Amino acid sequence: MLIVTAVTVVKTRSLFAIVALSGVFSLLSALLFITWDAVDVAFTEAAVGAGISTVLMLGTLALTSRAEKESAKSNLLPLFAVVLAGAVMFYGTLDMPEFGSPETPVQTHVGPDYLKRIPDDIHVPNAVTAILASYRGYDTLGETAVVFAAGIGVLMLIGGLRRRRINDDDKNSSDTKDTT
Amino acid sequence: MRHHLILRVITKLLVGTIFLFALYVQFHGDYSPGGGFQAGVIMAVGFILYGIVFSLAKAQKVFPPWLVHKLLAFGVLLYAGTGIYSMLMGYGYLDYTAIDPDHPSHGQHLGILIVELGVGITVTGVMVAIYYAFAARAPILSDEDW
Amino acid sequence: MDFFFSFLCMVLIISGSFFVVIGAFGTYRFPDFWSRLHAASITDSAGVILLLIGMGIYSGLTLITFKLLVIGLFLFITGPTSTHAVANAALVSGLRPPQITNKTHKKTNSD
Repeated sequence: MLIVTAVTVVKTRSLFAIVALSGVFSLLSALLFITWDAVDVAFTEAAVGAGISTVLMLGTLALTSRAEKESAKSNLLPLFAVVLAGAVMFYGTLDMPEFGSPETPVQTHVGPDYLKRIPDDIHVPNAVTAILASYRGYDTLGETAVVFAAGIGVLMLIGGLRRRRINDDDKNSSDTKDTT
Repeated sequence: MRHHLILRVITKLLVGTIFLFALYVQFHGDYSPGGGFQAGVIMAVGFILYGIVFSLAKAQKVFPPWLVHKLLAFGVLLYAGTGIYSMLMGYGYLDYTAIDPDHPSHGQHLGILIVELGVGITVTGVMVAIYYAFAARAPILSDEDW
Repeated sequence: MDFFFSFLCMVLIISGSFFVVIGAFGTYRFPDFWSRLHAASITDSAGVILLLIGMGIYSGLTLITFKLLVIGLFLFITGPTSTHAVANAALVSGLRPPQITNKTHKKTNSD
C-alpha cells in the first residue's frame, strides 16, 4: 500500500489530493513501524508526518495554486538516474545479513551491551530515550540544531522580522508588519 | 460567527487537554514512548488549533511572535548549555555525571530530563513559528474561488 | 462466563470492523459529496466506538481499559466535530445538496 500511495502522489495533479495522500503515507509508515515493535518511532512519525506536516502543507497550499503545473521536460532521464541509483544500492545491500536476523553485529554486540548497561548506569525503563539522550546525546543535539536551522531558514525566507519600507503604497508589505 | 460556534466550543474544551497530554508525553519519556520531539509537536498543535479556529491575531496575543523566536533559540541553548556546564565542572562535554557526582544515576536522570525539555521547547517554537510565518500572509484565492 | 466474554468481544470487534469497512466502501461508491461525508462519519462514530468497547472488554478491568475509555471519549468528541467542520466549509463555499425537481408532482397534485 505504501508503494501504491507513493505512485499516486507522483502521478496526481491536484495539490490538495497530494497533501492528503502524503498524510496517508505517513500514517501507513507509522503502522509499519508498530508492526516492527518500534513504538517510539511510530509515535514520532504519526505526530510529525500525519499531524503537523499535513497542517503546515495545507497552510502553504492556501498561498499557492491548486494544481501542479505541467512540466515541459521529458521524464525519462531522471527516471533512468533514479533506477540506476536504486539498483546500485540494492547491489550494495546484497552482502548484508538478512533483515532482522539475530546474527547481525547490532543484535549480538551493540544491542545487548546497551541493554545490560542501562539498568546499572541510568535506571531508566525506556531504553530508547536512554540511548537517545544519554549514550548518543551528541547526535540528538545535532538533530535539535537541524530543527532550529529549519525554523531559522523559514523565518529568513518568509519573514518573521519587521521590515521598514520607505514607500508604503505596496499592499503586500502590510502583512509583514503584523509579525515582529 | 454563528456557524463557527461548535468549533469554538469544542476547541475551548480540547486545547487544555492537548497541552496536558503534551506535558505528559514530555515528562514520561523515561517510562513510556515519548520524549522531546513528540511532546513539542503536540504542544505546537495545541497552539495551531487555537490559531486556526479563532483568528491568528488572538493566537498571537497569547503566544507573541517575539516569544516564539526567543524560545526557538532557548531550547538549543539549554541543551548545549548542559554540555558546557559539564565541561565547566571538569567532566567531558554532555557527561551527565557532572550534575550529581555522588549519585551518577540521579545525574543521568536529571540530565535526560533537561535535554529533552530543551528539545521539546525548540520543536514547539519551530512549528509555531512556521505556522505564524505562513498564516500571516494574505491568501491568493479567497474562500469562494475554491 | 469466560466463554461469554470472549464471544461478546468477538462480536463487538467484528461488527466494529464491519462498520469501518462499510464506511470506507461507502466513501468510495456514493455519488455526491454529502452522502460520501455521511458514509465517512460512520467510520468515526459507529466503527471506532464498537472496536474500543470490544477491546476494553477483552482487557478486563485494567489501566488499559481506562486509557481506551479516554481515547474513546476523545474520538467521540472530535469525530463528529471534524465532520461538522467539513460540512460547514462545504456549505459556506456554496455546495448544496442535489434538489428533487417538482415536474412530475404538478401533474398529480391537481386538487
